[in-house]
Amino acid sequence: MNEIQNSPGCERASELIAFLYGEADEHEVRDFRLHLQQCGGCREEVASFGDVRQSITAWRDEALAGFVSTPLTAQPRTKSALAALRQFFDLSPLWLKGATALAAVTFCVLAGLALFRSNHNEVSTKVYTEQDIDRIVKEALVQQARLQLPVQTPSPENITLNSPKPKPKNSRASSPTQFARSQRPLSKQEREQLAAELRLLSSDDDATLHLLGDRINQ
Amino acid sequence: MDTLATDEIIVERALTGDAEAFGELVRRWERRIFALTYGMLGREEDARDATQETFLAAFRNLRGFRGEAKVSSWLHRIAVNQCISRQRRSKVRSEQALEEEHETSFTTPRSYSPAHVAEGRQETAAVRRAINSLPVELRQVIVMKEFEELTFREIADALELPLSTVKSRLYTALKQLQMRLQKFESRN
Repeated sequence: MNEIQNSPGCERASELIAFLYGEADEHEVRDFRLHLQQCGGCREEVASFGDVRQSITAWRDEALAGFVSTPLTAQPRTKSALAALRQFFDLSPLWLKGATALAAVTFCVLAGLALFRSNHNEVSTKVYTEQDIDRIVKEALVQQARLQLPVQTPSPENITLNSPKPKPKNSRASSPTQFARSQRPLSKQEREQLAAELRLLSSDDDATLHLLGDRINQ
Repeated sequence: MDTLATDEIIVERALTGDAEAFGELVRRWERRIFALTYGMLGREEDARDATQETFLAAFRNLRGFRGEAKVSSWLHRIAVNQCISRQRRSKVRSEQALEEEHETSFTTPRSYSPAHVAEGRQETAAVRRAINSLPVELRQVIVMKEFEELTFREIADALELPLSTVKSRLYTALKQLQMRLQKFESRN
């Protein structure tokens, strides 16, 4: 039999490869089988290439047996809020996108207006301490005294300003807090005035207050 | 996730922000991409890294995928490029180091006798060494064909080569492997 060695002279490498890997069509397979009957070189190559492929397959199977899914898929990514929002916009029809945008703009405008109005209607919430109140009262009294000075005619009593001024007996100048903070014992009149000003007293409470007052005075 | 959806549909979904879609693509292709990178790099650890880098690169460039080629071809091209750049970076590892790692990398079936295991290991080590010694352009086609079982057309698309070049490279690769393995057999 006249055999053609698969050498540079036998230029059927392409067909051999297609035949070997099962990618030749029916006609090519039939044609190459006929060639193999005549070509010992090609027969040898098909056989030896088959062995090589078997060895590679063994290595591949061994290699892939150790394959474990990569962390890339072992930890599926959770969808972020931004991604979800983006997906929503991507999937939404145009009219829905427009409506959403309009709603967002309206909301922003209303929120801005509400913020603007609340800033204007803001009520001062300054908390005054007792010292603040005393200071304000003192300032007011000083101011009042100044205003009264030109009207009053100077008198000997006024000249001796440093001497303590006797309080009128029925004067209501003393405030309840002044009574309360006063270190000296309260007189009966002062107690009654304090009670009247505080409006705390029922008839029973009156007695209690008197008793308490008496106890304090004792 | 619809497992019957084509890769192209999955990519479209991923482009609309469906994070699970890309995960599905990874699940579909990771094993085959790992096979490719393992075949190209010959080292499990490198192959894992290259596989991961391949998918990360694909995810980053998802918007650049125009659908002109198949998703699989696109992924393979990225994987091959990852392997080539990785090899350029690390240059050639010593065969001895590869051998030591291989000894500890994989478990062997218990049913095999020690002699069989030793023989098998020697053979697979020889194949791996033979493939690693091939030039990159031959190695990538043989790995894509044998490890991933891609068609000639798919390889041609992935590597952007003419079909005839793929076939001739495959032939040359098989021829060189045959010669290297014969040497190995004659030595043993």
